Amino acid sequence: MNKVIGTAVSRTDGLAKVTGKATYTGEQQIPGLVYGYLVTSAIAKGRIRSISTEAAQKAPGVIAVITHKNAPKVFKPTNNFITSKIYEARLPLSDEQVHYGGQIIGLVVADTFERARDAAQLLQVEYDIETPLVNSAKATYKAANSMFGEEMAFRKGEFSSGTGVTEPATIEATYTTSTELHVPMEPHAIIAHWQEDALTIYEPSQWVAGIQRTYAELFGIPSEKVRIVTPYIGGAFGSKVYPWPHSILCAAVARQIQRPLKVVVSRRQMTANTGHRSETEQTVKLTATKDGKLDAIVHTAKSVTSPVDMFPEPCTNITPVMYAAPNMQVNQTVATLNVGTPTFMRAPGETPGMWAMESAMDELAWKLNLDPVELRLKNETTTHLRKNLPFSSKHFADCLKEGAKRFGWQNRPRQPRTLTRDGKLIGWGMAAATYPALRGNATVKVRLLPDGRVNVLTSANDMGTGTYTLIAIMTAETLGVSVDKVSVEIGDSLFPDGGLAGGSQMTASLAPAVQQACQNLLKSGKFTNTKEAIKELQSSGRAAVEATGSSAPSEEGKNWAFQSWGAHFCEVSIDEEIGRLRVTRWVSVMDIGQVMNAKAAASQIRGGVIMGIGEALMEECVFDPNTGQPVVYDLATYHYPSHADIPRIDVTFVGKPDLTFNPLGARGGGEIGITGVAAAVANAVYHATGKRFRNLPIAPDKLMA
Amino acid sequence: MKNFAYVRATSTEDAVQQSQTTQNAQFIAGGTNLVDRLKVFLDRPDRLIDVSRLDLKQIEATKEGGIRIGALATNTAVADHPQIRRDYPLLSRAILSGASQQIRNMATVGGNLLQRTRCPYYYDPVFACNKRQPGSGCPAIPGINRMHAILGASDSCIAVHPSDMCVALAALDAVVEVESTKGRRQIPFNDFHRLPGDAPERDTNLEPGDLITAVILPPVSFAKTGIYLKLRDRASYSFALISVAAAIDLSGESIRDARLALGGVAHKPWRSIEAETFLKGKPATVETFQQAAEIALQGAKPLDHNGFKVNMAKRAIKRALTISAQGGGVA
Ligand SMILES: Cc1cc2nc3c(=O)[nH]c(=O)nc-3n(C[C@H](O)[C@H](O)[C@H](O)COP(=O)(O)OP(=O)(O)OC[C@H]3O[C@@H](n4cnc5c(N)ncnc54)[C@H](O)[C@@H]3O)c2cc1C
Ligand code: SF4
Repeated sequence: MNKVIGTAVSRTDGLAKVTGKATYTGEQQIPGLVYGYLVTSAIAKGRIRSISTEAAQKAPGVIAVITHKNAPKVFKPTNNFITSKIYEARLPLSDEQVHYGGQIIGLVVADTFERARDAAQLLQVEYDIETPLVNSAKATYKAANSMFGEEMAFRKGEFSSGTGVTEPATIEATYTTSTELHVPMEPHAIIAHWQEDALTIYEPSQWVAGIQRTYAELFGIPSEKVRIVTPYIGGAFGSKVYPWPHSILCAAVARQIQRPLKVVVSRRQMTANTGHRSETEQTVKLTATKDGKLDAIVHTAKSVTSPVDMFPEPCTNITPVMYAAPNMQVNQTVATLNVGTPTFMRAPGETPGMWAMESAMDELAWKLNLDPVELRLKNETTTHLRKNLPFSSKHFADCLKEGAKRFGWQNRPRQPRTLTRDGKLIGWGMAAATYPALRGNATVKVRLLPDGRVNVLTSANDMGTGTYTLIAIMTAETLGVSVDKVSVEIGDSLFPDGGLAGGSQMTASLAPAVQQACQNLLKSGKFTNTKEAIKELQSSGRAAVEATGSSAPSEEGKNWAFQSWGAHFCEVSIDEEIGRLRVTRWVSVMDIGQVMNAKAAASQIRGGVIMGIGEALMEECVFDPNTGQPVVYDLATYHYPSHADIPRIDVTFVGKPDLTFNPLGARGGGEIGITGVAAAVANAVYHATGKRFRNLPIAPDKLMA
Repeated sequence: MKNFAYVRATSTEDAVQQSQTTQNAQFIAGGTNLVDRLKVFLDRPDRLIDVSRLDLKQIEATKEGGIRIGALATNTAVADHPQIRRDYPLLSRAILSGASQQIRNMATVGGNLLQRTRCPYYYDPVFACNKRQPGSGCPAIPGINRMHAILGASDSCIAVHPSDMCVALAALDAVVEVESTKGRRQIPFNDFHRLPGDAPERDTNLEPGDLITAVILPPVSFAKTGIYLKLRDRASYSFALISVAAAIDLSGESIRDARLALGGVAHKPWRSIEAETFLKGKPATVETFQQAAEIALQGAKPLDHNGFKVNMAKRAIKRALTISAQGGGVA
């Protein structure tokens, strides 16, 4: 049997997806299903003085009209990240207060979606309006703790000028990013179905076992009474881990009306109610010797949160990871605005953090007249400077060197505004990428059938990242069968707990569990190989042999820090006079340990690069300064890259397994691709134009100014 | 969404008659704009008259040497039509710069003329808006107005017309053919769309029940040099920040005739007759084009967030005229 791991395997769920056979939440057919339409606030701050529901109640087909006055009660979950988190600490409809524009203030349930939506227009709401604050420049910032409640500020070194640095070079600059939306292709949706005291939830979820516990707490029932079904997720990017207010409301109202209830959040409603990445403002100060050895790094970051939950964008996670400097200081602050609750979005923290850090490194390289690749090589650190632990496996230098080679970096002129093509300015830029390697607990069940097919079951899920295919690859590899013999069923809490798809850890958690289960299966019958097992099944008349396998991190985290690395190189072409920029070339080299599926991994990196180009050039959610409502709220107003914005993206992997991390040596690849991208673009723009852009997005109006 | 009757018009006369039977009848063609509006309750028709099956799809040469485009020809059919590509390349390119292939396959010429502004305040009933609800106010003026008008706006509305095709039609001196119960009439393109004034709820000078039957292009000998330059926030599938339709007729080194229209600047496609007049007889130099651009933008009134449009429009004009003077092509 050939090696399957690391080859390019097309997604096994691809056919089902392109033929419409893959059933997403909103498409689940449940007999007796009724439909809820969310009513959202027309003001961004204040309180509901009165809400008149009579007309809506009388409208055809209406089953229930729910507001804060008659909202069904649920328990407040312990709201801990590991056991039972909800995205927004305030429970939906818990009082008459309005904290942000578009906040959910009611739910209308009817026998059809159209009737529910129609009746929702009939609600008459009177508000006491207060002036909302949506301008971060006017906000008050205070020190932030991480989302896990840990202190974020960190300082090392004496910062005394006597560290032997003569003629230090210093750069200090402030970099901003805009409010970014996740915009997954599949909007958020949920169906809640109560049968007596048991609850079935159909909902796209990055963490089946996690939300099973959350719903159990919300309704005061045992976890076994909650079933979560999420076979397919149409993209999530961090916005589909925990229940949002609409999810809680749907499940609570379904119980009250004793009917299966569906709520789909519209694209417009998603802007307020299903998270976003906070805008950020970061200042980076770098001090270095003349020949480019960093002496001090000072990194401060500001982000904003909603009045009803605390989520600081952890920009400074990357500071103690990227570059060695004897002196280091990081600070994070957060302010409250009248906007919806921000949350994780692809590489939370690392994405804006690397934007600032990698822009600053570029500025330093120019100041010192050093090649930016060389500057990075010079300052590499082999240890995590906050944890004081060595990195288990680090091939950052290989990423830089290989990327430079593939791109042809050595031909880069050292002066801005020197490269031109067809009358346009050409610029080359590069930046580093990084993301931590995480790993959680996972369990899977494997069943071998007499006809040689293998069935794998786990509650793990696939947000489009390739979990189905990963499981098939791992099973095929371990049992020596072909990928098409493996059928995978996932995303159901009836199956063993497959862990969380977040923090780029699904592959790292799951692959060793699948391997273990397959090995256990062979061991269980003392089979030397799968053929023997099949023979035994056929002769004995047994229906299947099955085994479960689990995997979990052990003590290795006490001795090692785990992190992935990468480098991006890109070319931009700029028609300066009319503010037209195109990214024309892209090379990424990534060190994510063992690559499990060459095709899926490259696609993840490409997806990250595309999302990063969006962040660099166009993504920006804007709020009306007077009403506090977003004026960017759908796919026409929130621009992200079209095909025409994206060049060929050349992705390669270092491919060295990180065996200290897990038995396969595979770290995740879902998030690292986006990190550093915006800086690489801005650095290329500087090379092309000699102008430094520190505020994202670099839209045409800024470019030609 | 309130319930409405849906009827298929059997003929042009039938469509026009049907539109008189209720207060609030609306035509629907490709539906690419109207259906979106229905879904957010911007329009509440009591009767939808489907005109999409009417026999108004032909694109044919006129005796005068121009072309007559049926109102129900799809945007794709127009953009791909051999005579249009040959004689009016700027129309073809303007259409192809808009929307997506799928939308252009559905969208019709008549519908394109009547698509409504993309002002985000207009599309979200959470905001006041004079265009949606006359007299309620214009939140875009004190609000976020990066996409809004710099020319011809009023105190009641600063929205821009979103169409690309219409910018080309303005430059090409198109005529809109309209049928109503009173008969058939022709409206010169420049009189078709309106500036907002104090009635921003009216985008055009059509009367209720008017059915667009065709758009007629006169022959324009130098339209072959025409170009369409669209500047926007991404490479494809977004509305213009600024767009320019331009064509130049050269006689040796000097300009015999010129056409210039702008998109993304006003409540209607903005034809600049002043700049065209200025260009006539001048040498085809960058300085001339620069001056024409200054003239075209005279009287521009930028708002808090769209000041860049003035400069962007000037530069785009200069660029478009320069390429056109070199014989045209893709901008
Ligand atoms: C996502 C998206 C992106 C787009 N991007 C662009 C772009 O970049 N540039 C651009 O120019 N356009 C763009 N468009 C707009 C598109 O061109 C228009 O939606 C389309 O041209 C409308 O044509 P339709 O036939 O679908 O009109 P419909 O939606 O059917 O009708 C629109 C209006 O016209 C009226 N109407 C239709 N036909 C007639 C007739 N014969 N007589 C009288 N009234 C009539 C209807 O009553 C309705 O009020 C975009 C649209 C979408 C949805
Ligand atoms: S600019 Fe016009 S369309 Fe936009 S909000 Fe103001 S009145 Fe309404």
